Amino acid sequence: MLTPYDFQENLQQRAQYIRNRLQSGSPVIGLSYDLGVLLLSVRRQARKVYEIYDRLMLSAIGNPSDVETVRLASIDFAHQEGFVRSPDDVTVQRVVGFALSPALKKAFGDPLTAPFVFRGLFAELHTSPEQDLFYILNYDGDFMPAHRFAVVAGTSYAEDQTVRYLKERLENIPTLETAISCALTAWGIARRIAIQEETEHVSASDALETLRETLDSETHVEVGILERQTLRENRFRRLRPEEIAPLLPSS
Amino acid sequence: MAYAGDFFALLQAYQERTGVRLPIINALGEGTPLSATREGHLEVHGTTVIALKFRGGVLNVGDRRATAANAIMYDRADKIVPLDDHTLIAIAGAYGRAMEVVRYLRHAFRYYARSQLQPMSLDGKLQEVSRALSANLPNALSGIGLFVPILSAYDPETDSGRIFFYDVSGARFETQEYGSAGSGAERIRGVFDYIMQTKGPFSARPLEEVLEEALLMLDIASDLDSATGGIDKVLPTARYANREGVFEVPAETILSIVQKIRARSR
Repeated sequence: MLTPYDFQENLQQRAQYIRNRLQSGSPVIGLSYDLGVLLLSVRRQARKVYEIYDRLMLSAIGNPSDVETVRLASIDFAHQEGFVRSPDDVTVQRVVGFALSPALKKAFGDPLTAPFVFRGLFAELHTSPEQDLFYILNYDGDFMPAHRFAVVAGTSYAEDQTVRYLKERLENIPTLETAISCALTAWGIARRIAIQEETEHVSASDALETLRETLDSETHVEVGILERQTLRENRFRRLRPEEIAPLLPSS
Repeated sequence: MAYAGDFFALLQAYQERTGVRLPIINALGEGTPLSATREGHLEVHGTTVIALKFRGGVLNVGDRRATAANAIMYDRADKIVPLDDHTLIAIAGAYGRAMEVVRYLRHAFRYYARSQLQPMSLDGKLQEVSRALSANLPNALSGIGLFVPILSAYDPETDSGRIFFYDVSGARFETQEYGSAGSGAERIRGVFDYIMQTKGPFSARPLEEVLEEALLMLDIASDLDSATGGIDKVLPTARYANREGVFEVPAETILSIVQKIRARSR
């Protein structure tokens, strides 16, 4: 029997389809530290943390080609605005709120196009850690700002639990080293809860065990940072493997 | 991949979509009779910049004066700008247009690197400068916006500096040891060769020595050319590129060399 088209049902099905695909994504942890802001994730071959503009970077979970589309749209918008106006006028609020969110919402609601399989975390560097700004952008165009730390993971429950851990761990502004080891544990928590839905609580040692199991010769921790003070022309850089290695859990 | 890292194409698309006319794409003098722009305009010009190789890199030094006809308009102009962590540009000529092009290049290099996930090659960067200059040719011909840049880059393959100069139409020339541009530079051209023939090539000498030569030459240029600001009243700008990146020489270092030069000539 032919059922009439139901807008709400259609959206629910699309959201369910996307959520299923996001669930296995490698989580992304964003943290402010004293001298900068970092995004950390674990990846196989393809890069996962990207420079968008002078003070803006992005990492995401989702379909690689959808992530690529959002990444390039962000870079295009940021560079047009930064040139036509000023680099100071390129803010995460404008990039996410005006350039990206409406397009994602449109694609999600349009039954004739494939929705974006995407959940991204933007990090914007400011003069102090308290002012740094994170934006989580969802596949349906929904977005929310956060300060000091933010998490994007396979399920919203995993995100909530990881944020709770970070809240307890980070009463003070950490250094880069503390921030990385904190983010590594957070990644393990987010990962474990996202793929094992019945898990309610993950201890720090279990989290690191999850991380250890994941890492092998083809799977690496990737950390991108934006530095508050630097002599270099670019504030963004990715940490070298030898900078990350001492902070990884020993096997 | 819509623009494959091409910032000019991105700006053109922006202009078509929004209808906002961008000066970098459209010649300033378009539709203006030549006589209206050629006579009596008060366009601000930057004057003397010098690029010298040193062992392991390349140094740029520039005075701070900007003039309009025979009036000194500004004595704190910065004519040496880092384009990225390996590249410096020094400009002489129309200040407004040059700074617009510099802004364009800074964005173009970064836009390419960020979108394509690899840095633009040195040849690609040089080509981008040529393109910006040839796009500026209608301006130069109408009598406004004429400027010439010197591009200096650190080349990791040879662990040395490289210097390129351009004419107004975008033709590119690589020099062996030094480059200079601006009204004062023409007066001191022979000095470069004299120094090299008596003291050896700049590219074999350490940064400190080459910096002193550059400041001395700037001092001579300011004695011979009224549009060059000199080294006393406002300290010149000096930046260099080497393996570590692009750096500005601290004012204290420049001041101590200037004092040394003055002590010698008294």
